[in-house]
Amino acid sequence: MAGARTYFALLVALLVAIAIVPVSGCALETGPGDDGTTENGAATGEPYRIGAVLSLSGTLAGLGEPERNTLLMEVERINEAGGVHGRPIEVLIEDDASDAENAVAVTSRLVERENVIALIGATGTGGTMAMRQEIDRAGLVQVSVAGGTVITADFHPYVFQTPWSNSIVVPFTLSYLEDQGIDRIALIADSGGFAKDGVEVIKQFIDDFDIEIVIEESFNPGDADMTSQLTKIRATDAEAVVMWNAGAEAATVAKNMAALNFDIPLFGSHGNARVEFIEGAGEAAEGFRFAAGKVLVPEAYGVGTPEYEVATDFIARYTDRFGKAPDTFAGHAYDALHLIVEAMERLSEEFTSEELRDEIEATSGFVGIGGTFTFSPTDHNGMTEDNLGMYEIRNGEWTLAD
Amino acid sequence: MGAVELLQFALAGLKNGAIYALVALGFTLVYAATGAINFAQGEFYMLGGMLSVWAYAGLGLPLPLAGLVGVAMTALVGGVFELLAVRPRKDGDLLAIIIITVGGSMVLSSAARHLFGPLEKALPAFTSTGTVSIFGAVLEIQSLWILGLTTLAVVALWYLYNRTSLGRAMRACAVNRDAARLVGIDPRRIVTVSFMLAAALGALAGLAVTPLTQTAFDVGPSVGIKGFAAAILGGLGNPIAAVAGGIVLGMLESMSIAFISSTYKDAIALVVLLGVLFWRPQGIFGASRREKV
Repeated sequence: MAGARTYFALLVALLVAIAIVPVSGCALETGPGDDGTTENGAATGEPYRIGAVLSLSGTLAGLGEPERNTLLMEVERINEAGGVHGRPIEVLIEDDASDAENAVAVTSRLVERENVIALIGATGTGGTMAMRQEIDRAGLVQVSVAGGTVITADFHPYVFQTPWSNSIVVPFTLSYLEDQGIDRIALIADSGGFAKDGVEVIKQFIDDFDIEIVIEESFNPGDADMTSQLTKIRATDAEAVVMWNAGAEAATVAKNMAALNFDIPLFGSHGNARVEFIEGAGEAAEGFRFAAGKVLVPEAYGVGTPEYEVATDFIARYTDRFGKAPDTFAGHAYDALHLIVEAMERLSEEFTSEELRDEIEATSGFVGIGGTFTFSPTDHNGMTEDNLGMYEIRNGEWTLAD
Repeated sequence: MGAVELLQFALAGLKNGAIYALVALGFTLVYAATGAINFAQGEFYMLGGMLSVWAYAGLGLPLPLAGLVGVAMTALVGGVFELLAVRPRKDGDLLAIIIITVGGSMVLSSAARHLFGPLEKALPAFTSTGTVSIFGAVLEIQSLWILGLTTLAVVALWYLYNRTSLGRAMRACAVNRDAARLVGIDPRRIVTVSFMLAAALGALAGLAVTPLTQTAFDVGPSVGIKGFAAAILGGLGNPIAAVAGGIVLGMLESMSIAFISSTYKDAIALVVLLGVLFWRPQGIFGASRREKV
């Protein structure tokens, strides 16, 4: 018998659901309203609509949030400065809840119902790859903000990628290790997509270097302790531990190593370029080294260079608006949006999808946050090892490693 | 492999096992009261860490008080969850209650994500970030806290069950709900209290682990599954069995890494779990229960 209290409980559940859904599931629209009235100097007229598929909830939410913040901030700035060809840009952001199936569904909606001219996303590599069927069907440009090597290695003429992929970070890291005189490494990685990709790329490049992998250990996202894996590593003659992981477990590995009194150094990847890693690992983070884009310490570009100016300007504006410094993921979203917008500016007011694709591919020397992009008909990642720096954490801060 | 390494693997297993044990205790308490599995148990673990961080970093309370606030608030959430979502299902249909708890876990983690944001949060160690050396193997002082709190929780539960009238009422309900009602015990009250205790135990585990691993809105499900496996392995409904199940599971994982492969540690643990259940469906330490036809 369904009593009044059952209905009361259902009502409560419904109210909770209503309170949660609007924040996570619906499109957030920006730009001027339908009437096109804006302040002086701002763009008016029919907006260019760009779709963005980001992970605002689920496991990748920590990446999706800065990406969304950046898109909202940059679109506002572009429109205030007159838009593109005098018309405003409108970014339609959809949440894929860190799920590849959802990424396909929301992409389909953006393509069919919103008539977007290009797509940014997805936040994750899985979502990005899943979107490909829709990209194919609609013949639209996709600029992904996910880091998986597969995105551009499995080449598609309409797909571009802004983060540094493992295929440039891995050789950079290995050559640094070789320069440090390290011959034998222990590998520890989680079973997630980013880490698996990294391990594959490491194995693919390892023969080019005078380095040997003496042991390979893994753990699962969410594991609370890696002492057992590290105890095995400690029993080998490895000269350094190389970790590939982009989650909170990285801090646990660093702390477990400190507790076990390791006397060999720990190296990470661009997945660890997060303030949360330093906060989580505390003292155990000291001396941790990893490769990432030069933007973490913009001085690496050289003060006064165009790269330095773009990076410091963005960092200042983002920090001013959101109360904290942008992370690398914010930078990837900045690059994705501006790569599309720059190409649109070089075209005339009306253009086809194919023309937009060709123009993005013709991008040469675009100074973004992640580095300087030069695409070619075979390279849709556009970055080189020159855009990377090796960092060391000292006194809780990122500094350039020696 | 040397003796020191073996001891190190055993200590790692013991530490993970103690965490699983605390979560397993929560499963066991709710099972004893309702006969159902509470799949929101992992979220209580998450809330314990998140609410303690909120009280510590957000309200600026000293760590011991912040931890107490975190555990107490989670217990309250557990009680409210039972009153609003589980109790209205008066017929006590097991499948319905299980599905209600699955839904509840999603609501709790979504709410945490919206209230506290998507990023992981850290807490300082209770007393010291240092380690102690045991015959050459090392253990973090925070891990001693985890082991100590687990022991304390077991002793407290034993006292509750054997020395208080509330505990006797809980046991009576677990044995026979209708008979308990006949002697004047309100089973509904017992269910609410069980949910609150289960929430507090999960929260205690989350609080104790956060200084080692950090916490985030999405840490619940994976720990929940491990705790559930531990409870099944030991034998549902018996607190001592749940703790033993947790320790056995932690040891199994650690020894799998030591002697086989870290890639398959979870798979190996699950295969052993299945094997045990074929051999003893009631769990290693569970009392065999024969239904009379």
